[in-house]
Amino acid sequence: MIFGRHSVLKRGCSTWDKQAMPQEEFQARLDAVRREMARQNLDALVIYGDNYSFADLCYLTNYFPKVRGGIGVVPCDGPISLLLNIGSRDVPFAKSLTWVEDVRASGQVGRDGAELLKEKGLAQAKVGLVDSGKGFPLPQLEEMKGSLPQIEWIHSHLLIQQMRLQKSARELAALRGAGRVLNEICDGARDFIKQGRKEYEIIADIDRLARDKGVEDIRILAGEKRLQPPGSKMSAKLGTHWAVYLAIQHDRYWVETGRTHILSGDAKLQTAYQKAQEIVAKMATQLKPGRPVATIDETARKQLGEFYAIASIYGLGNGVGLSQWEPPFLSEDEARQVGSPSVGAAVLNENMTVALRVTFETEGKLILFGDSFQVTAKGPVSLLG
Amino acid sequence: MNGQQEFENRIAKVRQAIRDKGLQTLLVFDSGRHNFLRMNYVAYLTDFIGVGPEAVLVLPLDNDPVLYLSPEWDIDRAQEESWVKNVQPFENFWNLLSKGVGKAGLIGREAMHVDLHDEIVKALNQAPVNAKDIIENIARRKSGFELERLRQAAIIADAGVQALHEEAHVGLKEFELAAIVEYRMRFLGAEDNFGMVVASNHNQALHPPTDRVVQSGDIIIGEITPCIGGLFVQICRTMVLGQPAPVVHEKYAILKKAMGLGMDAAKTGAPASDVAAAINGTLCDAGYEKYCRPPFMRVRGHGLGCGSSAPGNLEDGNQTKLEEGMTFIIHPNQYIPETGYMTLGDTVVMTQLKAEPMTRTSWDIFVKE
Repeated sequence: MIFGRHSVLKRGCSTWDKQAMPQEEFQARLDAVRREMARQNLDALVIYGDNYSFADLCYLTNYFPKVRGGIGVVPCDGPISLLLNIGSRDVPFAKSLTWVEDVRASGQVGRDGAELLKEKGLAQAKVGLVDSGKGFPLPQLEEMKGSLPQIEWIHSHLLIQQMRLQKSARELAALRGAGRVLNEICDGARDFIKQGRKEYEIIADIDRLARDKGVEDIRILAGEKRLQPPGSKMSAKLGTHWAVYLAIQHDRYWVETGRTHILSGDAKLQTAYQKAQEIVAKMATQLKPGRPVATIDETARKQLGEFYAIASIYGLGNGVGLSQWEPPFLSEDEARQVGSPSVGAAVLNENMTVALRVTFETEGKLILFGDSFQVTAKGPVSLLG
Repeated sequence: MNGQQEFENRIAKVRQAIRDKGLQTLLVFDSGRHNFLRMNYVAYLTDFIGVGPEAVLVLPLDNDPVLYLSPEWDIDRAQEESWVKNVQPFENFWNLLSKGVGKAGLIGREAMHVDLHDEIVKALNQAPVNAKDIIENIARRKSGFELERLRQAAIIADAGVQALHEEAHVGLKEFELAAIVEYRMRFLGAEDNFGMVVASNHNQALHPPTDRVVQSGDIIIGEITPCIGGLFVQICRTMVLGQPAPVVHEKYAILKKAMGLGMDAAKTGAPASDVAAAINGTLCDAGYEKYCRPPFMRVRGHGLGCGSSAPGNLEDGNQTKLEEGMTFIIHPNQYIPETGYMTLGDTVVMTQLKAEPMTRTSWDIFVKE
C-alpha cells in the first residue's frame, strides 16, 4: 500500500459547496444509515474521525477534522451531534463545513463523549462504534467506554464503509472535479521537473500549484530509485529520472496518479514506462460491473511477470473516495495494511472508484504509472479526464 | 554534537529510566501522524518520521534497539535517515514478542488503536506499563542539537511572514495567501507546516483558509509553524492591506503590550501560569476580561515538541516551572470586539534567566498600502 507523509494540519481551501453537495444528499445517506441501524437493532452510532481518516464521519456530516479528531453521535432518531477536539472559538468555522447544527467543542472527547451519550439517554443502549480508520486514541476510547459500563458496544466499522462503495452522482461529480484538478497539476508539474534542481524545491512548486487550485490536502512521494516523502533530508539534486506519486483531496474526495519523468530520453526507460502504462490499461479493462475484484490483481500478476513482487510492495491499487484507501481492496494483504478486515467487495459494481498503479524497477530506476478510475457499464473511465 | 552522539545520549538516558522503573524492554509506538499536538516519540528516539500506520521502536535494556516499520517499502529510507540501523518489517515485531521481552513499558498509547494494544497485551501476556513520562521528562529541555534545528525553522518561519508581506494583495483568495507562505517555507526546506492564514475586516478566529477574496482594509492574520527535522517553530503576526482604522492600531497596541509583559513574565523557574497571567492582566486592564475566557480565548501559548510538549499550555493553573532549554510559543492572540481577532506571537527558548525569542520579525502590525 502507498502512504504519503500525513499533514499536521489540513490547511488547504476549506469550504462547503452547497450546490454541488446539498443537504438533501446527506439526509438520504442518514436515512440509509438509520435503516441499517434498525436492521441491526442499534440504538445509536458513535463515529470516530480525524484529520487522517475522516471518511465515515464526513459521509454523514460533510465535516472533516483539520487537526485531531472527534465523534459524531447518531441516535436512531432525533438530531445528530458532532463533538470535536477543537477550541470553542473554532465552532463557528466548523459549522460552516457541516449541516449538523449541534456542534460542540471538547478537549476531552472520551470524557465529553460519554456525557453526550448520557445526555441523549443512551447510557444503557446498544451502540455501534464506527472507526474504520482505526484512529480513536486508546486513552480516549478507554475513558468513554469506562464511563458507560452499561452500554453494549458493537463493532460497526464496516457499516458506513459498505455504503460508500458505490458513489452517488454528486460524489462522482466531485471525484471528476478532483481528477480534473489533479490532471492540471500533473501537466503543470512538468515545467518544474528539471535536472539539477533540488528535489524539495520541485516539491514546493508542485505543492504551490496544488494549493493555488484550492486542494484541501496533498500527498507527494517522489524519487529516482524509490518513492519517499518530502523532507528536509530530501536535498538531493534531480538527475535525469524522477517518479512522482501525487494524491489530492479536493472537495473532500481523494484521487491519485503516478507519473515517471524521464529527462534523458533513455529509450529503455521510455519503453519500460510505456509498458507500465499498458499494464495499468490492461488492469483497468477489468473495471466492469460484475467482474471479481481479484481479476485486477490476476491481470497485474500475469502482465508484470517477474516484476509483480516489486510492484506489490507499493500496492497495485485500491478504492478511492472520501478515503485515500478504501474498499474495494485488491487483496486481503492490501486491506490488512490499512487495518481493514477484508477486501470490502469481492465483485465490482457500477460507480465504484478505484486507483490503479504499477511500479517496478529497471536499469536501477523506479518506473511508476497510476491513474484513478470510475467503474461503468461501458468499462473504466479515468477520473483525470 | 552530531546526530549519532545525540541519539546515543538519548538512548542512554532512556535506558537509565527503564532500569529505574524496573522494566526490561521499552516499546515506543507511533502511527505515522506526526504532529506537535501529539508527541512523536519514535521520531524523538530515531530521527525518523514514518508514513505508515505502524512504527515500533523496541529498546531492550542491553541489546541494540530495533525499529519495526510499515510499509515495508519505507525501510530503506528509515535505514538511511534513522539513527537506528536495525530496521525490520512490522510483521517481525510479533515474532519478537512471542519470544518474550520481560517486563515491558509502552510509550505512544495516545497514538495507538485499541485493537493493536489488545494484540500486544495478548502477545506479551501482560499489559505493558504506560511509560510515556520517560521520554517526556528527558525531552522537556531541548538539546543544543534540537535548538540548532529550531533556529533553522525560526529562520524559515520569519521567511514565511516576509513572503506574506511581499506578495499579499487585494484580489487573492484566502487559500492563495496561505499558499504564498507555504511555498516560501517549503522552498527553504520546511517539511510541513501547522499554518493558518485568513483575511477579513473582522476576523472571528484563526481557521484554515476559505475561498474568500481579500478586500482592501482586510486584516490578515496568520499562525505559521514550519517543521524541520520533526521540530516546530511557530510565529503569529497581523498585517493590514490598506491603511487601517486608528482603532486597529490602538487595539493592536494592547497585544504588543501583552506580548512584552508575557515575555517579561517568562522567567526561568517561574510557573507557566505567570505568562498567562501577565497577558490576561493586560487585556483585563484594557477592559477585555470577558474575551480572555472561552468561547473567545483560553491559552496564551503552548509547548512545541517532538518528544515533550513541556511546559504545556500557558494558562491559569499551570504550575509547571519554566526550565532552561524549554521552547514554547507565547501568543496573546485575541478577539477584540472593535477589530476582530488579531494575532501576535513568538516561539521562545528559555535561557538561564529568561525567555528569548527565536523568531525575528517585528512585532509591529504590518501595513501594506
